[in-house]
Amino acid sequence: MKSSALVFLAAFIALSASWGGFVLAPQLQLGRAAQVKTVPAQDNYPVARPGLAAQGAEVYRSLGCVYCHSQSVGQDGVNCEIVLTDAGTNGAATLAVLGKLNAALARADTLTGLPKVLMSVADMNAADPILKALGSAGAKAQVVVSALGPDIARGWGRRRSVAQDYLYDSPVQPGTRRVGPDLANVGVRQPDVNWQFRHLYAPTSLVPGSTMPPYPFLFAERKLKPGQPPSPNAIPLTAAGVFFDVSKDTGPADRELVPTDEARSLVAYLVSLRAEATLFESPFTAPAAPPPPATNAPAK
Amino acid sequence: MTAIPPTSPLPIDNSCRLPLFTLFGGAAVWLALSSGFGLIATLKFHAPAMFANCASLSYGRAFPAWSHLLVYGFCLPAGLGVGLWLLARLGRVELAQPWLIAVGAKLWHLGVLVGLIGILAGQSTGFEWFELPRAAAVILFLAFLLITMWGFVTYTRRTQASLYPSQWFVLAALLWFPWIFSTATLLLQIFPVRGLVQASVAWWFSGNLINVWLTLAGLASTFYVLPKLTGRPLQSHYLALFAFWTLMLFGTWTGIPAHAALPAWMPTLSGAARVLMLIPALTVGASVILTCRGVKTPCAGGPLCYTKFGAACLVLASVLLAISACPQVSRITDYTWFDHGQNTLRIYGFFAMTMFGAIYHIVPHLVGPDRVCPRWMRINFWFVMPGTLLLALPLVLGGVAQGLKLVDASVPFVAVAKSTLMALRISTLGETMLALGNLIFLFNIVGAIVSYYCSVGKAAYTEATALEPARVKA
Amino acid sequence: MNAEAKQPSPVRPESEPTSAATTVPMWLIAGLLGLLFLGAWYFDARGGWFEAKVYAPYLSLADVQRFQPRTGGPEDVILRGKVLFEQNCALCHNPDGLGKPAQAPPLAGSEWVLAAGVNRLIRIPQLGLSGPIEVKGQVWNLPMAAMGVAYSDDDLAAVLSYIRNAWGNKASIVAGEQVKKVRAELGGRNQPYSPDELKKEAE
Repeated sequence: MKSSALVFLAAFIALSASWGGFVLAPQLQLGRAAQVKTVPAQDNYPVARPGLAAQGAEVYRSLGCVYCHSQSVGQDGVNCEIVLTDAGTNGAATLAVLGKLNAALARADTLTGLPKVLMSVADMNAADPILKALGSAGAKAQVVVSALGPDIARGWGRRRSVAQDYLYDSPVQPGTRRVGPDLANVGVRQPDVNWQFRHLYAPTSLVPGSTMPPYPFLFAERKLKPGQPPSPNAIPLTAAGVFFDVSKDTGPADRELVPTDEARSLVAYLVSLRAEATLFESPFTAPAAPPPPATNAPAK
Repeated sequence: MTAIPPTSPLPIDNSCRLPLFTLFGGAAVWLALSSGFGLIATLKFHAPAMFANCASLSYGRAFPAWSHLLVYGFCLPAGLGVGLWLLARLGRVELAQPWLIAVGAKLWHLGVLVGLIGILAGQSTGFEWFELPRAAAVILFLAFLLITMWGFVTYTRRTQASLYPSQWFVLAALLWFPWIFSTATLLLQIFPVRGLVQASVAWWFSGNLINVWLTLAGLASTFYVLPKLTGRPLQSHYLALFAFWTLMLFGTWTGIPAHAALPAWMPTLSGAARVLMLIPALTVGASVILTCRGVKTPCAGGPLCYTKFGAACLVLASVLLAISACPQVSRITDYTWFDHGQNTLRIYGFFAMTMFGAIYHIVPHLVGPDRVCPRWMRINFWFVMPGTLLLALPLVLGGVAQGLKLVDASVPFVAVAKSTLMALRISTLGETMLALGNLIFLFNIVGAIVSYYCSVGKAAYTEATALEPARVKA
Repeated sequence: MNAEAKQPSPVRPESEPTSAATTVPMWLIAGLLGLLFLGAWYFDARGGWFEAKVYAPYLSLADVQRFQPRTGGPEDVILRGKVLFEQNCALCHNPDGLGKPAQAPPLAGSEWVLAAGVNRLIRIPQLGLSGPIEVKGQVWNLPMAAMGVAYSDDDLAAVLSYIRNAWGNKASIVAGEQVKKVRAELGGRNQPYSPDELKKEAE
């Protein structure tokens, strides 16, 4: 290889190919994404985070939470089930239909204890004729699509994370390591602001065996004078510096823990984390009641 | 390939001295400091509440401080210094504008310092391997351009027209870093792109930095040091060529992890590229074995030893990368310590070790042969080599164990987290050995530089005082 | 630099390394080709061929389509109406159906919307409205254009079904045939109704 111009040209081409692939192409494909409508509820998704939660995203970045927590749910597969919701008035006709599908279902106790999962089917197309047949017998059934995988089984989300979930995040913090649990839906799992404060202050007090370090610098600890009312938003402590337990400890607390602005915004951000909207690219059947919040706005 | 008559390296070494001292000295300081932050980070797994009241020393800041100092503080200046040396030596030409390169190196270290302060103050960008705040990124970019520019000038002034493989690797590295770094700075910090495109850019950048840039810069040194010290020709020109092209074609696509919440084509493409990275790694392995076959040169703890160990780690890390790209494996190893172990093996095991070897080979040329104590060089090896293995292998194995529990939803998460502690605590031992090794490296390098300047000063003083009586007489 | 001239090390000529011209072994080339084939096969099987909406574990757009929820029945009509409403009506009546002060009356809880029959309701978007109208005890007086005149029968029915069933409203679904019938009754009329005139029509 005597000609250095050739080295440069070929290196340039080899290197620019990946630039085109992983910088330019995603920008063309995802960079102009906008709010979409969820299916079938037709709500707007995602919605921008309210001010305090947006500030909390900065605290999350600044404290490097991403080194231990991912915000990205995985999914291995998808399951499609037919659920009988109403046996109809003519049980015999319904059982006759069911018997044609699967002889084992043609038993009277199939029609009790509804709603009940009847069978798994390959997809919606396979479910359509079954629903139709059941409908003609006067019974009602619905198809439930659910995501599968260890993350879903752990309750970290109802479906995998997709690019749409991160539309308004900057910087995005999908994370690559799970020293702690995934936080993509922590606002769904633990919307209690008070729990989040206590957990940040002393993780092991709420999650025994937790390996998370405490973050006392996010709080100001104050001694209360006798008879002094606690500050708003404050967490009462006993004299020993542990959380005030209403059921055990008696009398008013004599110490309190006041969350700093950073802590309040961080917790507002945490409880705003919810990525469970039903989107085209990651379909699942949202449970009918209670209706899931279709936005990533903070819990009320 | 054709034999070139030996030439006196004296003017070349003289031109390299100042810039290389600046690059290597600073790199050694940052490396030792990075080990300190690494220790603080890993100690959190022994006592989570340690330094709990200090935000700057929380895990989320100590960890990026460690990786920032390791990559931008040590790897890049060390790689640049070795690269400049190779361009000068292999081109048989003096380094162009050594003073300006030294200024660039100083500017680089300033940028690293600004980045470190920014990260500790909570101004990190939130992207792994690219934490440095905007001001630091701009300083580093300018410093790199300043150094690279005179590297290219040196290259064009070369008196030896035909190229040796190491020169391609250095040139590609000099070309590639400004490109990836400016892309990341522009698209993540100055005009941030929208949504998950940021993650795609950040992963593309970190994949290119760790899997391509470090490999390019490291192999440039491997392919130079091995034949130089064994006295045999490199086996072979075409193997090196093959490694070069396959690395550039496939390595640049390896950044996107399998679990990325990006459309399926991106992680899939990246997975295929990760498997294909086996080819350059095996090529390097074959080349090293063929070059060193039958060599009687003792290697215990010397530059040859560092370089060979580095090449072995590159092959091992690439095999791990390829294995973890298979969907059945990535399902388990994703989100675990496996990936970090693999990266550690690549950065410490391959790159840092190769750089130690190269620097221990180069510095005696700059300061004179007796100023780097061979014994301490060997001691250094016997600290960093086991240290690297003790750091990386528990993370890799512990990561697999962690992943097996993580995919089993019946194991509570707290149990998963606790089960990794043993591996993490063993790796603390490795981190400690590495920290000691890095301190020895610092004292070896800085000691050599200081002792060189002391002798120069002494000689100048003797000369000046010797002349004085003559002047008085006149 | 004077100091550098006093290089203390003994200087002897050094030769730089050379490289041998051994060719690349066949097993490496074969390995490269084999892995390239494997990679291409893997991408073909799992890569979703550059579709933006295909994420693992789905393999293609058709695969994602197979699991899209289907509601069927009245919900579909209401959801279609929601899209149309948010495009064309929400500007004045607000996405939450509460209207805009001094501009457009609320639809949520409005007696005009929730009337048992839809004969009057269909005429409002079809021809527009002018003159003061009393809604929930408050008088509004700003003319409304014939916003629905360009809609197909089914679309207008969908919008009306939506406003009759959103924000806590609960009333019957409007069928396309009902819209068609009213439109036929109106004949060539293009003058907007006044509320008083509307009240003369059957509910």
